Amino acid sequence: MKLFVSEGNPHCIKVLAVLELTGVKCDIENVNHEEKVVPFLSRPVLPVLLLPSGQHLFSSNAICQYFFEIGGKAPADASTQWLEWEATELQPILGHALQMLVLQGKSAEAAKALEDPMNFLEQNLSKRTSSFLTSDTVAVEDIVLWAALFPLYLEPSLRPAELTSVFTWFERVGALPACQSAAQRVLQGRGQAALKGFLQKQPVITLRRDTPPCN
Amino acid sequence: MALRELSSLEKFLGLKKPHKYSTQGVKKVPLLQSNNGPALVGLATIASHLAKEAKKPELLGTTPEQRAVVQQWLEFRVTRIDECPREEIRTVLKDLNQYLEDKVYLAGNSLSIADPLLYYAIHHIVVDLAVQEKERYMNLTRWFDHIQHYPGVRHHLAPVVVLRNRVYTSCHH
Repeated sequence: MKLFVSEGNPHCIKVLAVLELTGVKCDIENVNHEEKVVPFLSRPVLPVLLLPSGQHLFSSNAICQYFFEIGGKAPADASTQWLEWEATELQPILGHALQMLVLQGKSAEAAKALEDPMNFLEQNLSKRTSSFLTSDTVAVEDIVLWAALFPLYLEPSLRPAELTSVFTWFERVGALPACQSAAQRVLQGRGQAALKGFLQKQPVITLRRDTPPCN
Repeated sequence: MALRELSSLEKFLGLKKPHKYSTQGVKKVPLLQSNNGPALVGLATIASHLAKEAKKPELLGTTPEQRAVVQQWLEFRVTRIDECPREEIRTVLKDLNQYLEDKVYLAGNSLSIADPLLYYAIHHIVVDLAVQEKERYMNLTRWFDHIQHYPGVRHHLAPVVVLRNRVYTSCHH
């Protein structure tokens, strides 16, 4: 089993954090952003996990779920739902916000784009009774969401003070040694600037307008 | 669209009592109210839940590896296909075609819920493919034809005529 990652690719933070947290044994190989690890995909994608069966997992969330499961924790419906939200709702906005912030220096626009998903997260976190998103022990959705937000949260202006529940939860997850070393490994202590090379190679992400299409 | 497909999926899974769904947001994300707990949101999440409810967990994969592969293709469906810009759809078809070269089903040798869900999602694309394109994406077309004829899958969708395998067409004379 081998995990392919690349420095400065934000999607690699979550899989490295989960790998360390679960204690799963797996080789790690650092490759270039442009390396085509999955033979059937036209566009290079990372991180990738080469499974013992020879199959490739190219979804970072599926890799995280897999590590958690072989580490002894099967996902619940609530976890799956957060992962789906992260992939479908949050990621497109994060991709756009990171490009705005890191490549164009437009932090106000990045903050604007993040408003809706962050308010949604705040609402959910403020209603919960557990230490983490769905339970009292850290679960796959905590790491996945923390890692997704981490590069943006390095920018103080993108951490609105009124989102107190998000902030407390974010600090709690981020304090885990596994999260700290994963962030260090991907960003190399260079902060958001480390993501520049990766972001420049991504297609420009434009957000869908919030108005329903007319018929 | 997601709601009709969830209803077809329920029938395929053999769930007798249909659920009531609603949608939320601009993207019309499906939502399932439940009697004992919070609502479930999202097509992949609801589909996985229905398979468990129908006591067919094998459709989510029987090993951790398979379960991860099934989840990956469910995610692929809701991120890469549902959000796909028109100019990228050919790339997605090409990639799927390449992937299916040596596979019967998305997760390998047995059907999973990722198969009907991907079939529902690309039906409207495959319907419009020209004959030559169907031939170009031959592995994908073969998989598509197999899934649309799989007992209990098709339901709300019209059958699509796909090409016969080249092996058979050469026998016609």
